[in-house]
Amino acid sequence: MGVISALGMWGVVVFPIDHFLKEAAQPAGDIDWLFRFMSFFSVPILVYVNGFLIYFAIRYRKRPADSMEAVGSPIHDHHALEAWWTAIPAVLMLALGLLSYRVLPEYYGAQASTVTMEAIGHKWDFEFRYPGLKQSVYNDLYLPVNVPVTMDITSSEVKEEDAVIHSFWVPEFRVKQDMVPGMVVPIHFTPDVVGTYRIICTEFCGLGHSDMWGKVHVVSQSDFDAWFSKQQHQAASAGPSVQLNHGDAAAGQALFQQKCSTCHNAAPFDQKKVGPGLADLFDDPKHPMLVDGKKADPADAAAILEKGYSGVMGTMPNMQANGLSPADIANLIAYLQTLRK
Amino acid sequence: MAVADVAHAPIGHIHPPPETFVQKYVFSFDHKVIAVQYFITTGLFFVLAGLLAELMRAQLAGPNNHVLSVTTYNEAYTVHGSAMVWLVIIPVLTGAFGNLVMPLQIGARDVAFPWLNMFSFWLLPPAGIFLFGSFLLGAPEAGWTEYPPISLQEPAGTSMWCVAIFLIGVSSTITGINFLVTIIKMRAPGMTWTRMPLFVWATAVTAFLSFIATANLSAALAALFIERVFNVPFYDPSRGGSPVVWQHVFWFYSHPAVYIMILPAFGIVSEIIPTFARRPIFGYKAIAYSSTAIGLMSFMVWAHHMFTSGLAQWVQLPFMALTMLIAVPTGIKVFSWVATLWAGKIRLASPLLFVLGFLSTFTFGGITGIFLASVPVDIHEHATYFVVAHLHYVLFGGSIFGIFAGLYFWWPKMTGRMLDERLAKLHFWLMFVSFNATFLPMHWIGLFGMPRRVATYDPIYGETNLFISISAFVLGASFIVFAYNALKSAMNGEASGPNPWGARTLEWMIPSPPPYYNFDRIPIVLAGPYDYGQPLPYRDVPPEYLTARPLH
Amino acid sequence: MASHALTMDDAQYSEQRDHRLLGFLLFLISDCIIFSSFIFTYLYLRSAAPVWPPPGVKPADLYMAGVNSIVLFGSGATMHFAMESFKHGKHLKFYWWLLGTIVLGSMFLGGQAIEYTNLIHESTLWAGSIYGASFFTLTGLHGFHVLIGVCFLVVVLNQTLSGTYTQARYFGLTAASLYWHFVDVIWVALFSILYVWR
Repeated sequence: MGVISALGMWGVVVFPIDHFLKEAAQPAGDIDWLFRFMSFFSVPILVYVNGFLIYFAIRYRKRPADSMEAVGSPIHDHHALEAWWTAIPAVLMLALGLLSYRVLPEYYGAQASTVTMEAIGHKWDFEFRYPGLKQSVYNDLYLPVNVPVTMDITSSEVKEEDAVIHSFWVPEFRVKQDMVPGMVVPIHFTPDVVGTYRIICTEFCGLGHSDMWGKVHVVSQSDFDAWFSKQQHQAASAGPSVQLNHGDAAAGQALFQQKCSTCHNAAPFDQKKVGPGLADLFDDPKHPMLVDGKKADPADAAAILEKGYSGVMGTMPNMQANGLSPADIANLIAYLQTLRK
Repeated sequence: MAVADVAHAPIGHIHPPPETFVQKYVFSFDHKVIAVQYFITTGLFFVLAGLLAELMRAQLAGPNNHVLSVTTYNEAYTVHGSAMVWLVIIPVLTGAFGNLVMPLQIGARDVAFPWLNMFSFWLLPPAGIFLFGSFLLGAPEAGWTEYPPISLQEPAGTSMWCVAIFLIGVSSTITGINFLVTIIKMRAPGMTWTRMPLFVWATAVTAFLSFIATANLSAALAALFIERVFNVPFYDPSRGGSPVVWQHVFWFYSHPAVYIMILPAFGIVSEIIPTFARRPIFGYKAIAYSSTAIGLMSFMVWAHHMFTSGLAQWVQLPFMALTMLIAVPTGIKVFSWVATLWAGKIRLASPLLFVLGFLSTFTFGGITGIFLASVPVDIHEHATYFVVAHLHYVLFGGSIFGIFAGLYFWWPKMTGRMLDERLAKLHFWLMFVSFNATFLPMHWIGLFGMPRRVATYDPIYGETNLFISISAFVLGASFIVFAYNALKSAMNGEASGPNPWGARTLEWMIPSPPPYYNFDRIPIVLAGPYDYGQPLPYRDVPPEYLTARPLH
Repeated sequence: MASHALTMDDAQYSEQRDHRLLGFLLFLISDCIIFSSFIFTYLYLRSAAPVWPPPGVKPADLYMAGVNSIVLFGSGATMHFAMESFKHGKHLKFYWWLLGTIVLGSMFLGGQAIEYTNLIHESTLWAGSIYGASFFTLTGLHGFHVLIGVCFLVVVLNQTLSGTYTQARYFGLTAASLYWHFVDVIWVALFSILYVWR
C-alpha cells in the first residue's frame, strides 16, 4: 500500500492540470496548488482505507475450519492509535485552512491599482460595462493580458422579471462569483495567458440557463486597445438603420437557430416555448399582432428586434442584449417572411 | 421503584392488541408496523425519484438531446432531488429504521408517543402527492434548493412544493421529539448511555437535529409561500428583501439535514461490522462522542454552501475552518470501523458487503467534501458537476449503501425470512461498480467546466456524459435484483429464526417478526452489547436466545 | 395509549407525565426556533436596509403596544398564581386566576386587532414593505400562538370543572401553563426588537 500511495502522490505532484484546464489568470495557479495539496494527502488516505478494508476482509475472514462460535480479538480501543488518527487529520485540516486563507485576500475586494468594470447578469446574457465606454458589451468580454481587473458583479434589477441570481464563472481563471440582484460584489484577478476562454453561468436562472454562456478574450494590450477604440466608434456613430430589403433568409435561419430558438419555435403560433411559434408570423390570422400590440408587419418586427420591448404580453430583448447587428436583424426578418408552417 | 418491578412490567403497559385490519395495518400504533409503512412508502418514492433520474440521464446522454424539453428536465432534477432528500432518505432512515430498530434495541415496548408516531407517518403520503402532483401545475424548476428570486417567479407547482416539504418538516420534527424522549426515558433498566447500541446513539443525535433544524426550514418555506401567494416581501431585492436571507435560513436547516441523512447510516454500519467481524466495535466511546460532536458542529457550517454568494470574507473563514474540522470526527469513525475489521473472524455476508462498499464510497465522498471546504477551491468547484459527484458519493455511496446494508441486516427480524445471499451479492456488485462508473467521472467534467442544472451542454463533455448515462441505467437496473429478492423472500424465503446473524443487541433476543408487545419481560442490561466471546449481558432473556450464534 | 389520567396506576402516570413533559418542552424549543428564524430574517433585512422604517412606512405605535404588553405579562402573573392555587388545593382561587388569564389573553388579542386596524388605515400593509412583512408575520405568528393558548386555557378550565385533574395529577394544567409562559417569553423578544429598538 505504501508503494501505491507513493506512486499516487507522485502522480498528483506531476499531473499536468494545466494541460486539461489552462491556468489563465492570477488566482488559478494558487487554487490549483491547493488542489494538488489536498489530492496529495487524499491519496494515501484513500489507498490505506480501501487497502486495509480489502486486506482485513480477506486476511481475517472466518475460515471453514473455524467453529461457529469463533470470535475475533476483544480489544476495544488503543488510545495511542486513536490519538494519532485524531491529531494528524486535525493538523492537516489546520494546515489546509491556513493555506486556503492565504489565497483569499488576493481574490476578494477591489484593489486600487486595477481597472474596475462591471459584470451584470441578465436572462440570459452577460452584460459588461467598461469605464470609458458608453454602451455595454454583451457576452464577449475583452481583457488585456497581465492587467489586474476588478469586476463588480451583480445582476440586472431593471425589470423585476429579469432580476434573478446568475453566476459568473470562468473555469480557466478559477474565478466564480454569484450575480445577486441587489448586491454588488467586487472580485479581482489578473488574466495572464492570452487566449479565448468560456464564461459559464452556474446558477439556475430560468429556461435559458443552459445556453447562458459567453467568451472572454484575453489579448495583448495593443489588440485590446484596437478593440476598445472600435467599440468607442460604434457608440459614437448614430444607430444605423436596418435595411430590410437586403436581408438574407438563409443567414437569418442560422441566426434563428442560434439566438431565437431558446424561446421560439419555428412552428405554428400555438407551439409555445417561452414565446409563441413564429411560422407565418406575418400571415397568420391567429397571430395578428406582435408583443407590443402593433400589427405584425416586417417594419414593426424589426423595430422590436432593435429596441426590445417589455409589456403585458411579454418581453423581447433588444439588439444589444441579443448581440444582433442591423444586418442580422434584416436577415432574421427575411427568414421569418419565408417561414411557413 | 425497584428494578425488579419494572423488569416484570405487565404487558398491559402498552396499547391494547390491534384487532381489525385497519387497526393492524393502516392506522397502527405499533412502531414496527409503522416502520414497514415507511419502508413501503419511501420505497415507492425512491422508484419514482429514480425514474426521474434515469429520464435526466437520457436527456444528458448527448450534448443537445431533445428527450425532455428544457422545462421538463428542470422539473425532473428538482423533483428528483426534493423527493430523494425529503421523501426517501430522511423518512427511511428515521421513520423506517429508527422505528423498526431503536425501540427494540433499548428494550422498550414502543416509542414514547405512539399516536404521534402514526400521525408522523401519515403526513408522508399527502406530502408525496403534493410534490409529485406539482407536475400538473408546473413543477418547480430551480433545484431542491429553490433559491429566490427565481423561485418567486415559478408557476403554481412551486407553492405545492412548499406545502409538501412543510408537511415533511412537521413529520420530521414530531418524529425527532418522539425518538429523543423514547431514548432518554424508556431504556431498559441497566442500559446506561454507554451501554446503548451505537445505532441508538446515532438515532438520538439525529432526533435532536431533526427537531431543532427542521423548524428553520418550516420558517423559510412559510416565508417563500406567503411571498409567492400574498406578495409579502422577504426575498425580493427590488422591494428591500434579500435572496441571501433564504440561503442562510435554508442552509441552516439543510446542512444539519445532510447529517440527519448520514448519521443513522453510520449507526447501521456500527451495528453490522461488530456482528460480522465477531468482535467488539473499536472505539465505542469515540464513535458515540464523535457522532454527538458531528451533530452539534453541523449547526455551525451552513454557509459553506454559500461561499460564492457574496458573503464577507470574515464570515467565510470561520465556516471554512469549522467545515474542515468536522472532517476530524468523521475520520475517527471511519478509522475505528476499519480497525474493527482487524483481527476479526469476518463473515462476508451481504450486510457486511454493503458496509464495505459504504466505507469505500463514503470515504471518497468525505474527502471531496474537504476539497469543497476550502474557500478558494470551492469558488472553482461550486455549482459544477464536482458537487453533484460529491453529494452522490456521500448520499448514495453513504446513505443508500447504508440503507441497503441495514435492509439486508434487519430484513430477517422484520419479516422472519431470509433474503437470498447470491442475489444479494449480485445486487451489491452491480450497484457498487455501476455507482462508481456513474459518479466518478462527474468529478472531472465538473472541474473542467460543466455546470449543474443544465439540460444541454458543451459537446466536449459528450462522451463522458454518455458513459455516465449508460452506467446510470445499469445502476437503476441493479435495484430490480433487490426487488426480485425481496419478493422471493416474502413469498417463500427461508425462515430466519430470531437471530440468524448471531448478533448481541436486544432486537435479536425476541422472535422474528416480534410480537406486538416486543418483550415478554423487559430485560435487565448488565453491559454493552459488543463483547463477542463473552456471555450475553442480559437478565430475563429466555435461554434459547442466549447462544448468539450466526447461521454460517 | 390515551388512558384517562385517573385510571392509570401511580407508576404508569408518573412515567407518562415525565415523557409528556419532556416531549412538550422539546416541542416548545422547536417552536422557539421557528420564531428565531423569522427574527433572524427581520434582523438581517433591517440591518441591510439603508433606513428604517423604509421610506413612507408608518411604524407601529410603541405606547399602545406597551400597554398591551403589560396586559400580556399580567396574564403571565395570573397564570402563575392560578397554578400555585391549584397545587395548594385552593380551587376557587384557581378558577378566578385562570379566568383572569383568559380574559387578559383575550384583551391582548383585542389590542392586537386594534393595532392592526390602525396600521392598515395608515397604509402599513403586510405586503406593502419589508417592514410590514416582518412586523405582521412575527406578531401575527405570535398572535396565532396566543389564540391557540387562549383556547388551550378554556379547554383546561373546562376539564378542571369536570374533575379531570387532581392535586397529584394535573399534567394538562402544567402544559397549558408552560405554553402560556412560552408565549410571554416570545413576546418579550418581539416587543424589544420590533417596538423598543428604534
